[in-house]
Amino acid sequence: MRFWRVLFQPFSRFHYKKIQVIITLSFMLVTIITVLLVSIMLYNRFSKSSEENTVLNIGQIIDQVNSNLEFYVLGMKDIFQVVEESVGNAPLISGEQLRSQLGTILKTRQDLVSIALFTKDGQLVWNTPNEQMRPNSRLTRQGWFEAAQEHPGLLQFSAPHIQNVFKSPYRWVVSMSKEITYTDGGAKKKGILDVDINFRTIDELSKRVSLGKKGYVYIIDGVGNMVYHPQQQLIYAGLKYENLEPVLNYQYGNYTDDSTGEERIITIKTVQPTGWKVVGVTYADEIMTTKKDLNTFMIGFLLIMLSIVLIVSVLVSYRIAKPLRTLERSVKKVEKGDFGAIIDVSGAYEVEQLSKRFNLMIRRIRELMDQIILEQEAKRKSELEVLQAQINPHFLYNTLNSVTRMAEMGRKEEVVTTITSLSRFFRISLSKGSNIIPVQDELEHIRNYLIIQKIRFKNKFQYAIEAQDEALSCMTLKLILQPLVENAIHHGIEMMVDEGFIGIYAWIEEESLFIRVTDNGIGMSEDVLRGILSGKSRQDSGSGVGVRNVHERISLYYGKPYGLTFESELEEGTSVTVKLPVVPASAESDHGGSA
Amino acid sequence: MSWKNFVLRLGVLGVLFVSTGSCSIPGQLHTEEETVTRVSMIVKMDHGDYWNTVKMGAEVAAKEYNVKLDFLAPKNENDYKGQIALMEQATLQGTDAIILSASDYMALAQVTDQASYHGIPVLSMDAEVASTKVKTYVGANNYEAGQKAAERLVELTGTEGQIGIVNFVKGARNADQREEGFTDYIARFPGLKIVDTLYCGSDEELANILTRTMLAEYPEIKGIVALNAEASIGVGKAIDYLHKGGKVKLITFDNPPEMLEKLQKGTVQAMVVQNPYSNGYLAVASAVQLAEGGSIPERFDTGTKLIDLDNMLWPDNQKLLFPFVK
Repeated sequence: MRFWRVLFQPFSRFHYKKIQVIITLSFMLVTIITVLLVSIMLYNRFSKSSEENTVLNIGQIIDQVNSNLEFYVLGMKDIFQVVEESVGNAPLISGEQLRSQLGTILKTRQDLVSIALFTKDGQLVWNTPNEQMRPNSRLTRQGWFEAAQEHPGLLQFSAPHIQNVFKSPYRWVVSMSKEITYTDGGAKKKGILDVDINFRTIDELSKRVSLGKKGYVYIIDGVGNMVYHPQQQLIYAGLKYENLEPVLNYQYGNYTDDSTGEERIITIKTVQPTGWKVVGVTYADEIMTTKKDLNTFMIGFLLIMLSIVLIVSVLVSYRIAKPLRTLERSVKKVEKGDFGAIIDVSGAYEVEQLSKRFNLMIRRIRELMDQIILEQEAKRKSELEVLQAQINPHFLYNTLNSVTRMAEMGRKEEVVTTITSLSRFFRISLSKGSNIIPVQDELEHIRNYLIIQKIRFKNKFQYAIEAQDEALSCMTLKLILQPLVENAIHHGIEMMVDEGFIGIYAWIEEESLFIRVTDNGIGMSEDVLRGILSGKSRQDSGSGVGVRNVHERISLYYGKPYGLTFESELEEGTSVTVKLPVVPASAESDHGGSA
Repeated sequence: MSWKNFVLRLGVLGVLFVSTGSCSIPGQLHTEEETVTRVSMIVKMDHGDYWNTVKMGAEVAAKEYNVKLDFLAPKNENDYKGQIALMEQATLQGTDAIILSASDYMALAQVTDQASYHGIPVLSMDAEVASTKVKTYVGANNYEAGQKAAERLVELTGTEGQIGIVNFVKGARNADQREEGFTDYIARFPGLKIVDTLYCGSDEELANILTRTMLAEYPEIKGIVALNAEASIGVGKAIDYLHKGGKVKLITFDNPPEMLEKLQKGTVQAMVVQNPYSNGYLAVASAVQLAEGGSIPERFDTGTKLIDLDNMLWPDNQKLLFPFVK
């Protein structure tokens, strides 16, 4: 069962547009048409020539029979002439001399049966061999006798008949008869001279001829009597039928006859001296044997060709269609979301290339998807952190602590400044939930932060904020400076003995917005720097938003080229530069929303 | 399934396809060599013009229908045991059809049934056999032939007088039927009396002697019918011997050449001639049809002809009377 399924698989879910079906069917169609055309051409050519050849052959065979017969008959005619001359010249008709002369002639040819002379009323004058006459032979009413009388002076050939005149065994003979004049006792008399030839020679000559398996030759005389027919008895008995009418109309030639129900080719020649007609009968279906053979050969050829083509085309089309189907299945898998699918399709060059490209594409998509997942995760994380930063409880706690202390000490001015700055700081921190704020706001935010920190750290450092006017109106992610400044205070200023300085500068250069936070603190070692950037080193006292977070947010939001750069030298200070794209305030909305 | 597997299967299928195709093609290519039908023809006697003519007709049909013909016969017409042996042999060796011309109506019945039991169709020719298994009968209507002979004899003798019958084998179906036909016709004329019926056993000399005895016993006999070739020859000889030619009217059966001489001579007034050539031909042709599973009529009447001096030289009668070109 599986066996069949394999072969007919291409057709199991038959679809006429399938490559395999198209290829198979078109192969078959082309082959059928070609083979048929060639077959028909060859068939016509061969069958025509074979038919012509056969007809020609039959004609030659009949010619041969005819000339043999003619030769035989002419020989007999010559003998008759000799006999006639002997009889005509004999002075004494019943003399011994004539008898011995004729006896010699009779002996020269074995198939001469008898020579006899009759008077015109049928009385025997003499005969050789000397045999008695049978009673009741009715010879005057026999064909040969009547014919000789009717045509005086002309040699007559009779149809074969039984010689019943003499007391020799009954024999089939052909009689040559002629009315002649002879001398009997000095008087000229008219009589009928009869020379009988044994029919056997002609019979055997005709019997030997065979035209194909069933074909035969028959002979009729000028008026349609059967001279020879292999099935003469069957014809007389009415079991067979020979259509003689058209034969009698022809002297020679051939025609097709179907009066017996079978198509037969009749070839006719006439034996000149006797007026007999040699008729060859050939069965058309035997002539057409070659045609039939050819036919079957062609059919066989067609079948074999078709089966070969069927197999080849199924194979070829399978070979072409299979990788395509595999490809289709793989694409379907991908379509369903399985990006792990690797297509390993071998086959035609085009298909191989296609699968290679497809694999590359899949790999790229997979990478992109991984990237998106990572980015999304990072974004979520950083946003969470920003959210925390907005509230920043640690910073709030520290600041309020300081405010409490200051209030206890009665430093009213400082308390007011601190609370005012704190409130501004948080206002900008929140900034109505917006993620992107103008640089001016960001700087204002950091200024408030610095004010608070300066009070907290008891003026341990000075600060300066400078910005180009063009830079002020640009947009930036919010809360990016606070972690940097916090970092500067913690790692730079806090440990310092001298008064510190924190500078914050914003400018536009080469189509980018730069904001730099510098300090003159103790600087950071490589380790610390690396720790900050990897996000591991995060002070508990800090704002909770790491420097690394800043960098990630910037590069996630604006792309890879943007972010932080660190320059740090021990005992000299640290400088962190933020690189941002120049986004004018009006264009901010294009970026919005995603965060 | 793997690609290689597929190719293998397809290859196998292809080979099957092509080979089945090519198997059928040689069959078609050799349509001319149709399967040869084997036919055994078992007749009464292996010699005599009559049986040779049957054989000639059978051979023509054999050639026409591509038949391998086995022509079998015992030496003697009386030898029905020989025929039984031949039937058994043919049945044992297997053949496609048997044509039987039974020497004895009853004795051959059992072997005929046996052959039929073995699936070999049996046709009877010339003389019937007492078996219902026989598919067809090819031959003369013997009863009618007997009547024909009687009709002519009555024409010759008139409706008064004594008549003798010389038959051949008592028990042979054709002999019995001819006799029956003959006597049935004669019975219409109360003036005609059948004084004697002889059985010569297909022996010319016995027929000769028996006829002489009969003619001595019944010198008033006006007509004699001889119901087969051998009987005819014997009766003819007896009449010639007694110089009663023409005085005792003689109707004979079949056409041995010596009887034709006697017809010309006037010893025989008429002869009933069967058509052995047609019998042989039609029997074989029918056997082929039977062997191929076709159906054929129950009887083929090949007819009889009454030959006398007037019609003996008609071309068709000549061929019937002298089937052999010698």
